[in-house]
Amino acid sequence: MSGPRYHRPKRQDQRLVAFECQSCGWVSYPERKRTCKGCSAAPAEYEEVQLQERGEIKTFVVQHYLPDDIETPQPVAIVDVPQVGDGEPARIYGLLAESELDELEVGREVEARFRELFDDGDRPINSFKFAVPRGEK
Amino acid sequence: MRDAYVVGAGMIDFGELYDQSFDDLLEAAYLNLLEDVDKGVEPSDIDAGWYGTIDFANEGSSGASVAHATGLFEKPITRVENACATGSDAFRNASLAVRAGEVDLALVIGAEKMLDDTAGLIQGAAVERLWRGRGVTMPAFFGMRATRHMEVYGTTKAQIAEVSVKNHENGTKYPHAHQQFECTVEDVQDSPTVSYPLNLYDCCPVTDGACAVLLAGEDVAHEYTDEPVRHAGWGLSSDTFQRGDDLALSNFPASRHASSRAYERSGYGPDDVDVAEVHDCFSITELITYEDLGFCGDGEGGEFIESGAPRLDGHTPVNPSGGLLSKGHPIGATGVAQIAEIYEQLRDEAGDVQVDDPEVGLQHNIGIGRNATGAVSCVNVFDRG
Ligand SMILES: [Zn+2]
Repeated sequence: MSGPRYHRPKRQDQRLVAFECQSCGWVSYPERKRTCKGCSAAPAEYEEVQLQERGEIKTFVVQHYLPDDIETPQPVAIVDVPQVGDGEPARIYGLLAESELDELEVGREVEARFRELFDDGDRPINSFKFAVPRGEK
Repeated sequence: MRDAYVVGAGMIDFGELYDQSFDDLLEAAYLNLLEDVDKGVEPSDIDAGWYGTIDFANEGSSGASVAHATGLFEKPITRVENACATGSDAFRNASLAVRAGEVDLALVIGAEKMLDDTAGLIQGAAVERLWRGRGVTMPAFFGMRATRHMEVYGTTKAQIAEVSVKNHENGTKYPHAHQQFECTVEDVQDSPTVSYPLNLYDCCPVTDGACAVLLAGEDVAHEYTDEPVRHAGWGLSSDTFQRGDDLALSNFPASRHASSRAYERSGYGPDDVDVAEVHDCFSITELITYEDLGFCGDGEGGEFIESGAPRLDGHTPVNPSGGLLSKGHPIGATGVAQIAEIYEQLRDEAGDVQVDDPEVGLQHNIGIGRNATGAVSCVNVFDRG
């Protein structure tokens, strides 16, 4: 199924652009929001911030049962991705790729790699997957 | 405001009920409820209904489904959906209406056909794409907490498995449970990995079921039974790990908000709870819920299960019914069935899983929503009035 929802956050997906609440510092990624999940400000004032291309695994799982057309085992993590400069990180789900399962652990630094995630039927969706940096086992 | 009391409960045997339709499940739970009420009840006495289902079978369920299944037409019946807290939140809404004096006698009924849809839960969770929570299946959502809890607190996979061992043992003594077998820690650890670190026996089965309870205002409760059970407190809350609190990576702050409100309203605290039915969709969920409900301190869930405290004969028996791990988790019915069990426990009618003379009981759900980024929790507290 194709759909606009895959294309709405295109800039965020391709450039790791996020949004910082000017009241409390909470960071929204990828949604460009007008209310705040951190301080409930409404309307909230946001400033665009740039995320780094590295993050830290806060927790993860390795999924073994998924629909037949999805490759398993499939590791997924919750990753904190810091801003360039000061401020809170964005806390997001990240697909893990191109890594050995035994390299995965809480606290491990991972790097964002720009990939074609899937094709929505018309156009490719490009965004980031996370991987253990090569040669840093 | 007046208090609301549970005055009857109708449970059906949970299981793979291929020979029963959605309608059949609702009808069976309703008839069991009518039969259960000590002094009897006429359908015409029922003023209103609250119906919990996520409509997993996609039968377009509305309140009218309950009218069709029970014959209760011309009455207000409201469908409630709130993820895994669906049944318990339907109950909470019914109780608020009874307390307000708007309704004297309220039917609460929850039902789910989990097995009619061949695509199943995994396919459903992975809607279309693996991306940003899409494709984060339920075992993965809860498994994330297990990984984090093991890392931060040193909780072991064996301690997590102990929850499953306890609940399966209880389930063999509870007549309505779906999976009636005992297992060992080794059995749990040798079962296939579903989503590391969770194995198959760490996960509840996929189960059809329904359950109904009846709520009455305090001035009419004694027309139906001499032993009504009081709805003493309640809380409902939602949360997301995206808010940045590290606690939301290992535990569920939503359960903490919901339970502290329920404790505050009831005047009871965690030490007063004599029996609890809590959300053990996965073994790890129950272990962290011990902490979230205040039965033990943060990071002590592993020691709590190891100490035997949540066993039938322990200090705070948890899930005497076998929990979702053994009984099954037909989502809309789950919370209502937990309340039915607390009703039986507080009336000393729980048979082989009866705990020793409980005065205060607690029911808890924690659910997942919004592409596996959100959590919702409902807690209800009961006493003998
Ligand atoms: Zn804010």
